Amino acid sequence: MIEVKNLTQIYKSGKGVFDLNFTIKEGEVFGYIGPNGAGKTTTIRNLLGFANPTKGSAVINGINCRKEAAKLQNTIGYLPGEITFFENMKGMEFLRFMCEMRHTKDLSRRDELIELFELDTKGKIKKMSKGMKQKLGIVTAFMHDPSIYILDEPTSGLDPLMQNLFMNLLDREKERGKTIMMSSHIFEEVQRVCDRAGIIKDGRIVAVEDVQSLNAMKQETFIIRVSNKNDVSKLMNNKLDVKKITDKKVKITVNNNYKEFFKILSDCSVIGLEAEQQSLENVFMKYYGKDGVTHE
Amino acid sequence: MNKTLFKATFKANWGIGLFFTLFILMYVTISIVMFDPDSAETIESMLALMPEGMLKAFGFDNLGTDLTGYLAHYLYGFIFLVFPMIYTIIIGNKLIAKHVDNGSMAYILTTPNTRIRIAVTQAVYLVSSIATIFIINVGIGIAISESMFGGHLDIGKFIALNLVTYLSTMVVSGIVFLFSCLFNESRNALAFGGGIAALFLIFRMLMGISEDISWLKYFTIYSFVDIEEILSSSSYATMASLILLGISSIIYFAAIIIFDRRSLSI
Repeated sequence: MIEVKNLTQIYKSGKGVFDLNFTIKEGEVFGYIGPNGAGKTTTIRNLLGFANPTKGSAVINGINCRKEAAKLQNTIGYLPGEITFFENMKGMEFLRFMCEMRHTKDLSRRDELIELFELDTKGKIKKMSKGMKQKLGIVTAFMHDPSIYILDEPTSGLDPLMQNLFMNLLDREKERGKTIMMSSHIFEEVQRVCDRAGIIKDGRIVAVEDVQSLNAMKQETFIIRVSNKNDVSKLMNNKLDVKKITDKKVKITVNNNYKEFFKILSDCSVIGLEAEQQSLENVFMKYYGKDGVTHE
Repeated sequence: MNKTLFKATFKANWGIGLFFTLFILMYVTISIVMFDPDSAETIESMLALMPEGMLKAFGFDNLGTDLTGYLAHYLYGFIFLVFPMIYTIIIGNKLIAKHVDNGSMAYILTTPNTRIRIAVTQAVYLVSSIATIFIINVGIGIAISESMFGGHLDIGKFIALNLVTYLSTMVVSGIVFLFSCLFNESRNALAFGGGIAALFLIFRMLMGISEDISWLKYFTIYSFVDIEEILSSSSYATMASLILLGISSIIYFAAIIIFDRRSLSI
């Protein structure tokens, strides 16, 4: 169980996190989303006891994350956002080092994970690709079977196949009752595995919501290609949010108004339709505005 | 103290230690081989051709005619100060600051080991690896001296000289380690720790040149390596060693506490 109480950490630059308050229940999967530089990693640093909060505290299972950090570490599986290992070590050497440091006796899980992610443990870490390093980080975070996972942008650097594998792993861990906190700036990721999500912007939590209600906030944007110019003007002329891109291409944002959307499309000769990847930034702009004003 | 971390640290750094050991050993061997009890005057007359200030800076002004005095002046005025110092700066920086700077400290700290334990382990590595460099050199130095000039080396004085030099280096390593524990960026740690160490050595070299700047001796830990005193007085080395041990213990203790308390940017 993770409790963040009035957590404030201000850097010299004036940036930081301010008065964060949230709780993650046991067995819950909590998404921590926000744009780059919003304070996600700063929060996580406090949960692991690396940083000294200016004010407030982070507590896991009743233990203060900063003051008694060492006591907590074997219950936490941590995947850093920017991973740096002991570069001169080989993959397996590093995993062995971590197991020894943690006194992990059962190595079967380590070997299962290596196989699952097709991790090449023979090479020097220095020579590994970003994706391979990320996989090594994932194995390191999961191999001692902790009860809490703290994952900082876990899928970055992974190819879609590996992302999928990783998401399935998270699903299984969730079923096993593990508590998971993952930060992300990718909406789909959070949407897929998380129960609840906290949204952080400029160092402040602007909302903690069920993922279902976040889904409702999500804008679906489609790029439509039509065969003639008249259709474009036809498309422009309705209640939906339509932007013209070229003579025969428009961008339509559907705010859950799919009925209207399909009705209009059926009148035009559509030759192409693709869903645009939703950037979280857009969701923020739309629903929280620049100053982080909450909706409703 | 954590054995696993110690082993990993050893594996990452033993090569540098070996390099410095061999480098210093080269000087030790050459200077012993060059010693000739009969023709010490020849070397002195050769050195007389060089500017006096320079000789004083490197401690070559009074080489002496016995092997102990000759080695003391030839090696402990510069060689045994500068190379252990450079080793200390490189390794001291790598042990903590570099791990914090590049982020690998995050992995060390996400194991059930307290920061104090981690810092103590790294400090023990620094202290013991410098000791190893000295012990190997002293051991081999004595062996070569005995085999070439049996009985010429005052082994007790030679060991005392090395002990004081080692403990002075220990204070310098403590300072380097302290800055390594204090800064998030390794270049800052390097600038402060290395800067102070280098100043100590520069002061030590300048202080002997002229009476006018002899006050510099109060600003460098290396003034404890007072070759004349160590060779002539039997109590000086003991006293100096105890003082240096005290100072370095305090600095290391402070460094470890600082690392435990501070906010890390990892």
